[in-house]
Amino acid sequence: MKTPKNVETHVWRGGIPLESRYTAGLGGQIFFQALKERGELVGTRCAACKQVYVPARAFCERCFAELTEEVKVSPEGTLVSFTFSAYDRDANRLAEPVALALVKLDGATTTMLHRLLRVTSPEQVRIGARVKVVLKPKAKRTGSILDIEGFQLA
Amino acid sequence: MRRVAVVGAGMTKFIHRALETPKELSWLAAKAALDSAEMKLDQVDCVVEGTAPDAFDGVHMNGEYLSDGCGAWKKPYLRCYVGGGTGVYALAQGWFHIASGLFDTALVVCEEKMSTCLPHPQAAFLTIFDNITEQPLKPNLLWIFALEMNRYMSVHGYSVEDIAKVSVKNKRNALGHPSAQLGAELTVKDVLASEIMAWPVHRLMVSPTSDGAAAVLLASEEVAKRVTNKPVWVQGVGWCLDSAYWTNRDLYYPDYVEKAAWMAYRMAGIREPRKEINLAEPYDPFAYKELHHLEGLQLAPKGQAPRLLADGVFDRDGDLPTCPSGGLLGVGNPIAAAGMMKLCELFWQLRGEAGPRQVPGRPRRGVAQAWGDLMQVGTVVVMGVN
Ligand SMILES: [Zn+2]
Repeated sequence: MKTPKNVETHVWRGGIPLESRYTAGLGGQIFFQALKERGELVGTRCAACKQVYVPARAFCERCFAELTEEVKVSPEGTLVSFTFSAYDRDANRLAEPVALALVKLDGATTTMLHRLLRVTSPEQVRIGARVKVVLKPKAKRTGSILDIEGFQLA
Repeated sequence: MRRVAVVGAGMTKFIHRALETPKELSWLAAKAALDSAEMKLDQVDCVVEGTAPDAFDGVHMNGEYLSDGCGAWKKPYLRCYVGGGTGVYALAQGWFHIASGLFDTALVVCEEKMSTCLPHPQAAFLTIFDNITEQPLKPNLLWIFALEMNRYMSVHGYSVEDIAKVSVKNKRNALGHPSAQLGAELTVKDVLASEIMAWPVHRLMVSPTSDGAAAVLLASEEVAKRVTNKPVWVQGVGWCLDSAYWTNRDLYYPDYVEKAAWMAYRMAGIREPRKEINLAEPYDPFAYKELHHLEGLQLAPKGQAPRLLADGVFDRDGDLPTCPSGGLLGVGNPIAAAGMMKLCELFWQLRGEAGPRQVPGRPRRGVAQAWGDLMQVGTVVVMGVN
């Protein structure tokens, strides 16, 4: 059977309708509670593996230990990488690119993804720059990663 | 373990929007692989299928849906899935079936029809990000690649121009591929003039979304020697998974590819990859990824791949041709099928059947690699003529 040329392709539309309800989990509960109530960034430490996971996790992926030692890390850190993304999730071009930061907070061994605020072009940013977290005011915090507005250059 | 050979290969054209259904694409590729070995479906003992997210084809349990197109009617059948790493991993899965002694032949088929997914296949990736810490930011895949490319360039001190040369090479190589979607003669200037999608990623550094399928036929040593005088042997397979948190590793270097590569190299008896491998098909969904992966594959010292590229080492007539097929950047990127396309390319190159794409000097051994899941799986296959 040959692929016919110049014919109208018969198509129809359908979907897989699904919605999900996610829980933050044992580790996430600790992180989001601290973020919402106290405006703090809390992780958990694995002393054996010398890791501080932020946001907090319930177990260490390296040794499988339960992580019970909570650690408050600094709201400041170092920019590990950044980008300015010109597209949204449906591949539509945005009016203005959104700047994203990958940040290693002082005291954490993991990095965190969030928006990079108050910058408009890559020339204004360099990897290795110092950044600090910007939080929403307490009254507006709901216990979501969006309680963090993003990072800004320190 | 028994020796396993590839005895046939086939693929469809990779195109933006196929009329054929996913089943039909699978059937076209599987049939082409069988025909190339002059074998019939009833000589196939078992079938392995590889396809990435169900959401692309828009069918849950997509493996079952595709099964008849893959030739699995009333046969032992198994789908495998490790995201973008699927296409290369699928061959390893077929290899288990034969190396273990359970079966003598295995048909391995990989398919993706991304055009089904609306408004854009990107939507299939929305829920791969952490649902608590990342999804509220509405991330898209480009974010990760842009952050990783920026990290790679920054750690090693390379410019966007250095990376753009991969697009130029691969799209030019694809001009010789009859299945290619995006073969083109371009300059570095053209690549840099293309739109910035997520800085520093430019549009011409990104592989397209595609529809297509590719397949190989595997056989035990006894069957292989009976059906062909040019078997291509599977010398080694390897795979490795890094942290499930992509923000939990230094993005500048793919450790998981290094570990997967050494697993395959040890099996193949390779000690010095740069000296013992004649051509490579590293996974290149983005221009920088080819360089990143060549370093992980131990085919360039850390941070040196862009320099070797500039020196012409990776050209089709260079010391170590990479992506002579044209890669994902040139041939196209129907996810699982793209990885399988790379294995087909090794098969054709090692048999001297790659036509205008043939690398000179009668290559004796090649490596193909793919990468996927949430950026942390490396899958590697080494193939050779003996
Ligand atoms: Zn640990």
